[in-house]
Amino acid sequence: MQFNSDDSGSGLQSEINITPLVDVVLVLLIIFMVVVPLLMQGYDVDIPRTTAQAVPAQAAESRLILSIAPSGCRILQPPTGEGLPADCHVILANQNVPAAELPARVAEILGDQPPERRVLFLDADDRLNYEGVLRIVDLAKSNVQGLKIEFITH
Amino acid sequence: MRLGEPTKMQATINITPLVDVVLVLLIIFMVMAPQMRKGPDVNLPNTAKPTDQGDERGRILVSIDDAGQLWVNDQRVAREHFGEALRAAVGAEQDPRVVVRGDAKLKFGEVREAMLALDQAGFRGVGLIAKKTGAEGRRD
Repeated sequence: MQFNSDDSGSGLQSEINITPLVDVVLVLLIIFMVVVPLLMQGYDVDIPRTTAQAVPAQAAESRLILSIAPSGCRILQPPTGEGLPADCHVILANQNVPAAELPARVAEILGDQPPERRVLFLDADDRLNYEGVLRIVDLAKSNVQGLKIEFITH
Repeated sequence: MRLGEPTKMQATINITPLVDVVLVLLIIFMVMAPQMRKGPDVNLPNTAKPTDQGDERGRILVSIDDAGQLWVNDQRVAREHFGEALRAAVGAEQDPRVVVRGDAKLKFGEVREAMLALDQAGFRGVGLIAKKTGAEGRRD
């Protein structure tokens, strides 16, 4: 051919080799097909029985209660950005605790308990924003393996 | 070439049409992925470390949209019919698991009420679905 006249005899390829591209695209396609019915992520929560048969493993007085009030943590609106407001305080076992210390405090109290007693009772104000409350739950859970969350309902 | 045909024979398969088809399929899947899930679009709350809740197939999806409306799987239900709708959704399923997809803008009380209704309908634990902070797309 005219255009190839300068090439050496080894017949240089003038086309892009798209085989690696095809490999990558096929793998991407397979990943998408498999992952589409996606896995969900979230938090397991429970509602304690309201009647006399309370959670058997936990006597009422030894419950660890985490209370969140709008006066301590201003999350009436969805929090902007990541994390929580810097001055966010919650009440853990009747003590005022900054939210940042929550993982350590919960681990301190429940960390050496047997797994079935690792229960945290959550008493959040109804006016609070759901996302903010979940972020506090996330903090509380972060340092304790297998922590169960129970919502207290009034 | 050894055989010396006058027209240079191509020894490789032409994979360009294959690439076209695969790319189109890929795009179709990428576009369809958000629509394939059940329930209404819900802006899930972002948290740092949500734990895995498994596949959404085989679960009963209770969604609460930003207006506080309840949905069971694909259907919007009124609060007073919530229990019936749940029982209908359970059907013959042996071990029904319920997950709650609540909108990030909701008040905590609205989610708590839905959970109370679930409790009254006889379900014990539920999963509150969240999204990992920074996860791109709709990895919910």
